[in-house]
Amino acid sequence: MTWGVVQVFADQEPHIPGKDETMIPPNETFYGALQKKGVTRRRFLKFCTAMTATLALPPRYVAQVASALEKTKKPVLVWLQFQDCAGNSEAILRSSHPSVLEVVLDLLSWEYHEIIMAGAGHQAEAALQRVVKEEKGKYLAVVEGAIPLADDGVYCTVAGKTAISIAKEVCTNAAATIAAGACAWYGGLVAASPNPTGAVGISEAVPEAKVVNLGGCPQNPANTAAVLVHYLTFGELPALDQYNRPLFAYGRVIHDQCERRAHYDAGRYVQEWGDEGHRRGWCLYKMGCKGPQTTFNCPSVRFNDSTSWPVKAGHGCVGCGGYNFWETKSPFYERLPNVPGFGADVSAGKIGIGITAAVAGATVVHGIASAVRDRMRTTPPPEKI
Amino acid sequence: MGSLAPGQHAWSEAHRPYPTTLPVRTYVWELPVRVSHWFIVLSIAVLSFTGYYMHNPFIVATSRTQFLMARIRFIHEIAAAVFISAFILRMYWFFVGNDWSSWRSFWPIHKRQWRGMGQMVAYYSFLKKDLVHHVGHNALAAVTYLLMFTFMLLEIITGLTLYTWVRGSWLLGWLFRWIPGVIDIQHLRLLHFCIMFTFFAFVIHHVYSAVLVSWEERNGLIESIFTGYKFVPRHELEEDAKLPK
Repeated sequence: MTWGVVQVFADQEPHIPGKDETMIPPNETFYGALQKKGVTRRRFLKFCTAMTATLALPPRYVAQVASALEKTKKPVLVWLQFQDCAGNSEAILRSSHPSVLEVVLDLLSWEYHEIIMAGAGHQAEAALQRVVKEEKGKYLAVVEGAIPLADDGVYCTVAGKTAISIAKEVCTNAAATIAAGACAWYGGLVAASPNPTGAVGISEAVPEAKVVNLGGCPQNPANTAAVLVHYLTFGELPALDQYNRPLFAYGRVIHDQCERRAHYDAGRYVQEWGDEGHRRGWCLYKMGCKGPQTTFNCPSVRFNDSTSWPVKAGHGCVGCGGYNFWETKSPFYERLPNVPGFGADVSAGKIGIGITAAVAGATVVHGIASAVRDRMRTTPPPEKI
Repeated sequence: MGSLAPGQHAWSEAHRPYPTTLPVRTYVWELPVRVSHWFIVLSIAVLSFTGYYMHNPFIVATSRTQFLMARIRFIHEIAAAVFISAFILRMYWFFVGNDWSSWRSFWPIHKRQWRGMGQMVAYYSFLKKDLVHHVGHNALAAVTYLLMFTFMLLEIITGLTLYTWVRGSWLLGWLFRWIPGVIDIQHLRLLHFCIMFTFFAFVIHHVYSAVLVSWEERNGLIESIFTGYKFVPRHELEEDAKLPK
């Protein structure tokens, strides 16, 4: 017995990677890696179908996506975190049962991701450096969080380096950069007024990087996966809009895809939280829902394994997929923004009605005064002669 | 009535020479001016009601089949098309209409127009007892209308931008789809909503001042927007004809 145990240990020689044996890229196909993990052909095809649907491609592209993913080598990915709440990482990890997202995690060789990587300290930073040097121009970078520029960027440092210097080094050498979430896109909450740290998004911080912006707070991991699948299948990034957001995810207004839309058209609205209409799932338009103002694919892709999204859960959309939504889509529970200079409690409607009433009142006073003047005239106007 | 030529007076044959202060029936507002005026009035009324409903749906429907909001939006869009058409007609008439509807009478390009504005302000603020008479618009009214036309144009631009946000042809898309990238769609919506109240305030003042001037001048001003004819003293008509345009 004892001998046997020793023998078992003796068989397992400790594996020390040699100098010539690099871990990147893992020399196996994505599909091969999945098979080793016990992912069935059926589940793989389900994933391909879901991705094709998310990309708004016709069903015949499923075969193309599947064959491309079967052959493709696992590309290297590094995930950088700056001024963030890790919400976008959490969104990626929030997979309650093995499904699309587990496949996504296996889709790429994740070499660096602060909150999930095993390595720490110098080891981790060495991994990042190795990717930048050895995979130059081939790896993908995901950026989460804003980059502060004020005071030489001292407000966010990782391993003694400022966020801006890391971003410049990693993103300029990447094949493409994905800005995950509102903060990485334009600064998000961090850049909202008064923006004490001078936070900006990755496109502004590193203008020379090739960036796909995935807005949202958080971004939808299904969209991140779809962008990666598109890149692996067609060798290029998907079609982008004026903000460099993929059109498949940000090309349509939420309101037009919403499951409560029929209630909107019928004129059935929630009047206050918890009322009869709210319990019956009526439209949240009067509660300040920003679905009509925002383009995103939440109603079809949804969050947390496609279980739900804010409007389905009974809360109005806050427009997190839109540019600068903290400034432009607030107040979140009102239809329109506040009028500048009038404080938070005065709505545009109140101001408008006030102005109209003031003009009406002034007109009445003026009318009375004019009638008095007409009476007091000593000489009648020439027409009356 | 129709047998009289413009500038001819019903009494002219019997009372020649008649005093120059006697009013002459003058065709001031041509048909397109009146038509565009009334279509703008009607469409703004409909647009304001439906637009306010779209901002704050104060009627909450219980029917499953009436599609209240969808219908209100449909009416808003149809009324907008009428409004835009009337606006374009009026803009066209700026260039082909008579002197009183021409764009030249709106822009304060002459010194006398600035003087006229001062006189109207003095009249409205009770600093001056009597009105200075005008055949067409007075200078102050003209710049106010110019401002209102600008607001109408802003309503059209913001409205069509909001329209292309959800649908619209390639032409509208090409013309307006870039705007939300410059000004956020929420601020466009706020602007679209706020300008409506300037129309309300304007309508109150416009109707009041028309009644006031009509009463003071006894020139049939109110009737003129229906018939096109004003009653202008002959000497004023002659002075107006001499003015450089």
